[in-house]
Amino acid sequence: MWRKKLSGRKNIIILVSLVLASFALMTFGVKRSQSPTILETALMWVVSPVQNLITLTLDSASDVVDHYLLAVAVSEENEKLKHEIDKLIRQNNELREELRQRDRVGNLMEYQKERQLKSVVAEVIGRDATQWARVVFINKGTQDGIKENLAVVTNGGVVGHVIQAGLNTSKVMLIVDGRSSVDTLFSDDRVAGIVVGTGMEFCEMKYVPITAEVNVGDQVISSGLGGVYPKGLVMGTVVSITKATQGLFQEITIAPSADFGRLEEVLVLLS
Amino acid sequence: MIVGIFTVVFILLFSLQTSLMSHFSVGGVTLDLALILTVYCGVLLKGDRGIWVGFTIGLIQDCLSGSLLGVNTLSKSIIGFTFSTLKDKLMVIGFVPISVILLAASFFDGLVYYLTLTLLLKAPIPFSFLFSTLPTYAMYNALVGPILFFFINWSKKWVLRKFPLLEGFAQ
Repeated sequence: MWRKKLSGRKNIIILVSLVLASFALMTFGVKRSQSPTILETALMWVVSPVQNLITLTLDSASDVVDHYLLAVAVSEENEKLKHEIDKLIRQNNELREELRQRDRVGNLMEYQKERQLKSVVAEVIGRDATQWARVVFINKGTQDGIKENLAVVTNGGVVGHVIQAGLNTSKVMLIVDGRSSVDTLFSDDRVAGIVVGTGMEFCEMKYVPITAEVNVGDQVISSGLGGVYPKGLVMGTVVSITKATQGLFQEITIAPSADFGRLEEVLVLLS
Repeated sequence: MIVGIFTVVFILLFSLQTSLMSHFSVGGVTLDLALILTVYCGVLLKGDRGIWVGFTIGLIQDCLSGSLLGVNTLSKSIIGFTFSTLKDKLMVIGFVPISVILLAASFFDGLVYYLTLTLLLKAPIPFSFLFSTLPTYAMYNALVGPILFFFINWSKKWVLRKFPLLEGFAQ
C-alpha cells in the first residue's frame, strides 16, 4: 500500500519537474539573444554532415531518375529553361519596378543606380525538425558573413530571413511560417499591407482597406520598411480575395513566388 | 553501449526528419518520427525510461527547430510520461491500438504547441490550424506510424540478438 503511494508521489514529482524544466527552457528561449546555444550549435554540427549526405544522395537519386532514366537531353534543357525563365522574370520585375520609380519621381531625382547587393549563395541542407515551424537550414553561417535578420531570396522571389546564425549553418524562417510578417505593397497601385504566414503553403495579406482595388494575379512586393527585406523584392501574387460585408479590411490570400517545395540553393542578401 | 546506440538512433532520426521526410509530405504535413519514437519508448521500454527518452527527444527537436525552445520538450516529456505510466493498462498489439495511441499523441502534441504559442506568446497562429493542419498531421501519423512502430520493434529485436547484454534495458 505504502509502496504504491510512494510510486504515485514519485510520478507526480517527475511530472512536475518535467513541466517546470520545460517552462524554464521556454523562459530562457524567450529571453535569450538570437545566437544559438552551445547545445544547438553542437547538435547542428553533428546532424548537418548526415543531413548533407542524405540531401546529396537524394539529389543524386532524383538526378538519375530525371536525367537518365526518363529523357536525358529534354529534361536537362527543360531544367535550364526553367532557371532561365525564373531569372528573366526576376529581371523583368526589377526593371518594371525601376521604371515605375522613375515615372514617379520624374526628372527631379537622379536615376537610382542598380543596387549593388552583396550576397552569399547557400544550399538548403535540411528542414525544421518539428511539424509546426516552417524553417530551413542552410550550409552557411557566421564564418561566411551571415547574421540574424538578413533577407534570403531565390530567383523566384523572397524565401524568408535568417533567424539564427551558427558557425557553419543557419536557420531561415520562411515567409509562410505562422510567425512571419512582412510589410508589403501591391506593385501596381502601391496599396500597403502586411503579408503574414499561415504555416501552410499560402500567406495572407492583412490590413488592405476594403476600398482598395485588388485583383487576382496582382503582384505583391516588399516595401522596404522593417529593416529586413530591401524594397522591391517579389513576395507573391494574389490568388483569392474575400470582401466581407462588414469590416474594414479585405481577406487576401497570396501564393509565394518562391517555390518552397524545391528549395535547393538560396541567396542570402548581406546588405 | 546503450548511450552509443541511442546517440546513433537520434542522429539518424533527426537527419532523416530534417531532410528526407519533406519529400513525403501530404498537404504540407510530414510524418513525425520523433513523436513515433517517443510513443514507442514510452510504451515498450522498461520502467520510466520512456519519460527520459521523451524529454531528450523533445529537447533535441527544440534545438533543431526554429520554434520556441521548450515546447517540444514539454509535449514529448508528457507523452513519454503518460505512456510510460499507463503502459501496463494499454494493449499495444496490432495495427489499430497503435494507430489510436499515435492519433491521441499527435493531437496532444499539436495542442501543446498551439496553446503554448497562442496563450503564452500571443503568436498569430490561425484558428484553422486546429481544424485542418492538426487532423491531417494526426491522421498521417496514425496511418503510417504503426508500420514504423513494427520496424522499430524489429530493429530492437535485431539489436538485442546481436547484443544480448542490453536485454535488461528493454522490456
